[in-house]
Amino acid sequence: MGFKEIVKRFLGYRGTIATATVVKEGEEERRLSGYRFYLDYLIKDRVAAVALAIITLFTAWSIVEGILQYVGFATRHRALGWALLPSNPIALNFAESLKPPSLSHFPAYIFGTNFSGESILSRLLYAAPKDALAAYLVVFSGIIIGMLVGTFAGYFGGWADEVLMRVTDAFLALPGLVLAIALSVLLGAGYNSVLISLILIWWPTYARFFRAQALSLKSRGFVEASKLSGQNSLMIILRHIFPNSVDPVIAYAALDFGNVILTYSTLAFLGIGIQPPYPEWGSMSSNGLPYFPQNWWWAIIPGLVIMTVVVCFTLIGDRMQDLIGGRLTY
Amino acid sequence: MQISILIYLVRRVINAVVTLLLLIFLIFVLVHTIAPTPVALARIYCGSPHCPPAELQVIIQQYGLSLPLPVQFAHYVVNIFHGNFGTDTLYKVPELQVIGELLPITLELVITGLIFAVIIGLFTGSIAAANRNNPVDYTVKAVYLVTWSAPVFLVGFILQLFLAYELKLLPPSGLANPTLGNPSPVTGYPYLSVVPQPLQGWLSGLVRAITSPPLIAAAVDGDWRFFVSGLHHLVLPALAIAITSFGVVTRLTRASMIDALDRDYVKLSFMKGLSKNRVVYGTAFRNAVIPIITLIALLFGFSTAGAVVIEDIFQYHGMGYFTVQAIYNLDYIAILAITIVVGISVIAANLVADLLYGWADPRVRLE
Repeated sequence: MGFKEIVKRFLGYRGTIATATVVKEGEEERRLSGYRFYLDYLIKDRVAAVALAIITLFTAWSIVEGILQYVGFATRHRALGWALLPSNPIALNFAESLKPPSLSHFPAYIFGTNFSGESILSRLLYAAPKDALAAYLVVFSGIIIGMLVGTFAGYFGGWADEVLMRVTDAFLALPGLVLAIALSVLLGAGYNSVLISLILIWWPTYARFFRAQALSLKSRGFVEASKLSGQNSLMIILRHIFPNSVDPVIAYAALDFGNVILTYSTLAFLGIGIQPPYPEWGSMSSNGLPYFPQNWWWAIIPGLVIMTVVVCFTLIGDRMQDLIGGRLTY
Repeated sequence: MQISILIYLVRRVINAVVTLLLLIFLIFVLVHTIAPTPVALARIYCGSPHCPPAELQVIIQQYGLSLPLPVQFAHYVVNIFHGNFGTDTLYKVPELQVIGELLPITLELVITGLIFAVIIGLFTGSIAAANRNNPVDYTVKAVYLVTWSAPVFLVGFILQLFLAYELKLLPPSGLANPTLGNPSPVTGYPYLSVVPQPLQGWLSGLVRAITSPPLIAAAVDGDWRFFVSGLHHLVLPALAIAITSFGVVTRLTRASMIDALDRDYVKLSFMKGLSKNRVVYGTAFRNAVIPIITLIALLFGFSTAGAVVIEDIFQYHGMGYFTVQAIYNLDYIAILAITIVVGISVIAANLVADLLYGWADPRVRLE
């Protein structure tokens, strides 16, 4: 089986769990597989559809704005980063200091301005790609590392399994935020060190999930059958264990994007990560702390935006978990 | 029966110690990966990026940073078990002394928050289970999905804005009314003279630990004005912590209540003619509560992490506030010490939860 084939199997796999039959009233029985299974039911659920729309918007905006910012930095035309924004997010303008949310200068002042007179809306939009990148990168790296480590440990068992369990125990003994604080402070200030420390602390949960999946799958009939037919272990893992263990994890991952954003913005709130003048959702909120409660919008609106995005991820993850029937245990 | 409890207890304690050792090993490995050479390590201990080379050499000698790694690890573990976390680079006092003063304040906040979270969670969870799949259930679910998705600082700000600044129900920040002096530390334990001499040191240490949180110290001291003021200041931050974490309790309570309501003994209670409320909140509730014990450690860790942010917002000068100061001052030694102390507390909470669970549900002990 070539590489292309493996990729194809991954994208178009027919998982045993996600093809569960769901019958709704007045509808004929249908079987869907993989992401189609989730997508079909998420769109029909009104609340989940709204959440999905908001997340799609957030992701699409992050991609566009992220590319603009990247190109702007690469070609030394930083202004490209705020070409689409209502105003320059890092230009000081003390004449417009601490304006409450209003419709004047629509839409720049819809969320008010901060002490330096920068529009909060522009800063929120400018910071969005960083949050999106953190969420997707951390969760996907967590899944990949967890899948490699967890599946092999669960499938082969023995001392490798024992070591994995003890190491993940140590990681999970500490609240993620506390370990992330220690790591990113040790690694030094900056966005990259936050990403690295989040990736480092995020994989153990996934390793436990994949280990549990591999343990339960390896005694199933189709795995035993391919073992008997002389298939080697690597092929069994690639063909049977990986594809079948991904499905339940997808539902958890959807929920986990929100968790990453929460942890990431809490780190930013504590002053770890992106340094001023560049905005970041969490640090915007903490900068407003000395001006609270007279200028409440500065501290509260970034928090509300974080909450909206996280609630949407949580809702989608929650619905997906309901769909596959039951939650993951590890 | 007695032996099974003993075996269970010993196994849990061994498990906790192993996890603690692994945690220390993990932190050791991470620090040494980030700072692989003795000089880089010495910079961490020095606390300032512009440390003169002579001073670095002194630090390398003092902490034995050029020794082989296994020896260094052994030193590190021994130091931690002796309560030697190094000297704070900012205040120039042993880290243990700073943390010893601040940890009780944070523990008081976290445990109060945890109690609030469990009460709110049990209440909402059992209501949701009793009204399964009707609007009440959906409302409860909507509420906890929103609250556990909210960043903890937003909850803090909103509570402060509405309950403290708008309605003026509770004070917005601080440990207690600043015009009141701190309660004097409890000294002199008259009843201790009854116990035999060798135990007195241990017991007085234990008593000092228990009476060190400010509210308890004030109560023991009879300083009721400080006690009332402290209690007033405690409610808002504890509530903020509870609001972000009660959803976990709600979900588990709902699930285990639904499970309990399907059991035969609940059906029997209905058949006996007991009222629905009596069956749901009496019979089923009692059995559904047991799994909540397993959440205690999880909640404790979550609340401790939340306390870092909450203490910053509410100017509640405990260990969380100290953590934020350490982050701003790049006080690595303090951050490593805090990480290990939080780790020890969470592992201890895990142990307590395990033991409580074994006590409440005898089936667990036999596993």
